Amino acid sequence: MTVALSLRGLGKDYGARTAVTAIDLDVLGGECLGLLGPNGAGKTTTISMACGVVTPSRGSVTIGGVSLANQPRVAKAKLGLVPQDLAVYEELTAIQNLRYFGALYDLTGARLAARIDWVLGVVGLRDRATEPVKQYSGGMKRRLNLAAGLVHEPELIILDEPTVGVDPQSRNHIFETVKQLGKNGMTIVYTSHYMEEVEALCDRVAIVDAGAIVALGTVSDLVAQHAGKAIELELAGTPEAIEAADRAAADHGSVARDGRRLRIVPTAGLAPLVAAIEATGATIAKIESRQANLETAFLALTGRGLRDVA
Amino acid sequence: MIVTAIQKDVWLLLRDRGALISLFVLPIIFIVTFGSMFRFGGDSGKPRPIPIWHAPGDARGEAIARVLAATEGFTAVAVDSADEARRRVAASSNDAALVVPAAGPVELVIDLAEPVQVRGPIQGALTGAVMRAMAPAGLAKLPPFIEAKSPPGVAKPLDHISSFQVTVPGNAVLFGFFIALTTAMSFVTERRIGTWRRLLAAPVPRWKALVATLVPYYVVGVAQLTFLFGIGALGFGMQVAGSIVALVVLSLSVVLCAVSLGLLFAAVATSEKQLGGIGSVVLLVMGLVGGCMFPRIVMPAFMRSLGHVVPQSWALDGYYDVLVRQGTQVADIAPSIGALLGFAAVFAGLGLWRFRFER
Repeated sequence: MTVALSLRGLGKDYGARTAVTAIDLDVLGGECLGLLGPNGAGKTTTISMACGVVTPSRGSVTIGGVSLANQPRVAKAKLGLVPQDLAVYEELTAIQNLRYFGALYDLTGARLAARIDWVLGVVGLRDRATEPVKQYSGGMKRRLNLAAGLVHEPELIILDEPTVGVDPQSRNHIFETVKQLGKNGMTIVYTSHYMEEVEALCDRVAIVDAGAIVALGTVSDLVAQHAGKAIELELAGTPEAIEAADRAAADHGSVARDGRRLRIVPTAGLAPLVAAIEATGATIAKIESRQANLETAFLALTGRGLRDVA
Repeated sequence: MIVTAIQKDVWLLLRDRGALISLFVLPIIFIVTFGSMFRFGGDSGKPRPIPIWHAPGDARGEAIARVLAATEGFTAVAVDSADEARRRVAASSNDAALVVPAAGPVELVIDLAEPVQVRGPIQGALTGAVMRAMAPAGLAKLPPFIEAKSPPGVAKPLDHISSFQVTVPGNAVLFGFFIALTTAMSFVTERRIGTWRRLLAAPVPRWKALVATLVPYYVVGVAQLTFLFGIGALGFGMQVAGSIVALVVLSLSVVLCAVSLGLLFAAVATSEKQLGGIGSVVLLVMGLVGGCMFPRIVMPAFMRSLGHVVPQSWALDGYYDVLVRQGTQVADIAPSIGALLGFAAVFAGLGLWRFRFER
């Protein structure tokens, strides 16, 4: 199978701070690769280097066998980017936006018109194509954001949180569109905060933490190799006691916190964990065991929940 | 691709009411306002009325009134009493008045609180008129003592210089430089909304991405100056005494300088708010120092020299020559064009040095 995207020793420093240490990754042609990592892990920097938006401090990027450093125009033409931001002009219509973004890839005339018509159909915006984007709902804007990355028919598309902040209907539409693109043979790199999207969509998942890939494999491989049995605790007590309990739990395993709930993959037995929490003044109101899944694998690998702020 | 970028930015501009107003409507309002304020020269061909009172049949008074009526730029308006003449000046209905008593000195009624730059020319001209009227009869037959002439190499001006010959270019330059703000704003906005990332991810060389963002605003800037000078000529009777080619070359240099300044602004600004606040003030101060709002000729010598540190003053010097001095060619305004291109090179150089594609 061909390699659609190859990253070799890719790293980025901002002054004395290293954002990405050294990433080695091959994305195979036609596969959908999930890129997961806590906030600040280096996902966006890695994507930016892969797209040529950020110049790497070291390492190389090859897109469809073409070196990004040596032949940037040829390499970039093979790639589509769907940024996390709504990178479209709200004052313009969908057609005007797509005409501009298509022209960046040397599409003109009838070919551009045909591509615009196709992509508007793909994202379900054909009937609203002549309205200014500012009149769209958040979900429709996200769909146009996706269309702008697809208009030039790339071999590889990189989607950075394509469903963040949209209504369930649009989220489902985007999800199904990406799924269909994958079925049609497009290579996809997909980052998301929604673990279930990654589990359902991606053939393989790379988990990034602290600027490096800490695990790479299929979802079942990652779960089998890294996911310990997780427990979920619901705590009672003062906010200070719950804060202290969160800190105490972190000494006994990987912890993700959501308000009064702690999801923990314990490193040792349950007894020392419970004792440590109760010593803080917090009490355990409820305790449940959780099946091993991608989320618990992620938690075990990074020590953080996917939505935690770094 | 650059053509599509121009099209896209024109679409965006046409939907940006604020930018359209500041680039195209505000200058017209300023031109009308300042044009009405600075009614110097032979404004609309109307001489300045000077109320004059003298006792009925007073020979000296009649002689002064005759000379005043024959003096370029003035007309004598007989009033019924000395107090009426004084009242008109006190009420600012007239700039000055003459009261000619039967004996003793002629009274020049003028507000001594007026700046000397405003009061001086009127006072001097009226004093001269009175002296000519009171000179012995034989003196009038002598050849003139003094004759006004432009120095060699300085072309003859238009016969009637309307205030719009000055206020149209003044405001065109003031607001023409605001394209720097619009240019810089577009960079900052593109970064904020993420379209800049899309542009960098596209198979477009970085130099071309930069040019594609600048060129649309160059085109808009040229359209803006064309519109303002067009309105000036058609709506306010502004004339072009020199060559149209010189006017075009100068205008293209002005816009190049303004867009280069926009690149420098874009390189140092971090937010639209910062640009809107600091950028506007910088441009207004530059316009003020450069003589866009008040002609530099009424400024003290120090301020007149200081004006040359901003490109606006060079632009206005060039425009004044092209619009007012007959037969002015490109070569005649080469210093202005050279200075504007020099400023453009400095702004662009600093801008490119400070500009970060990956911020």
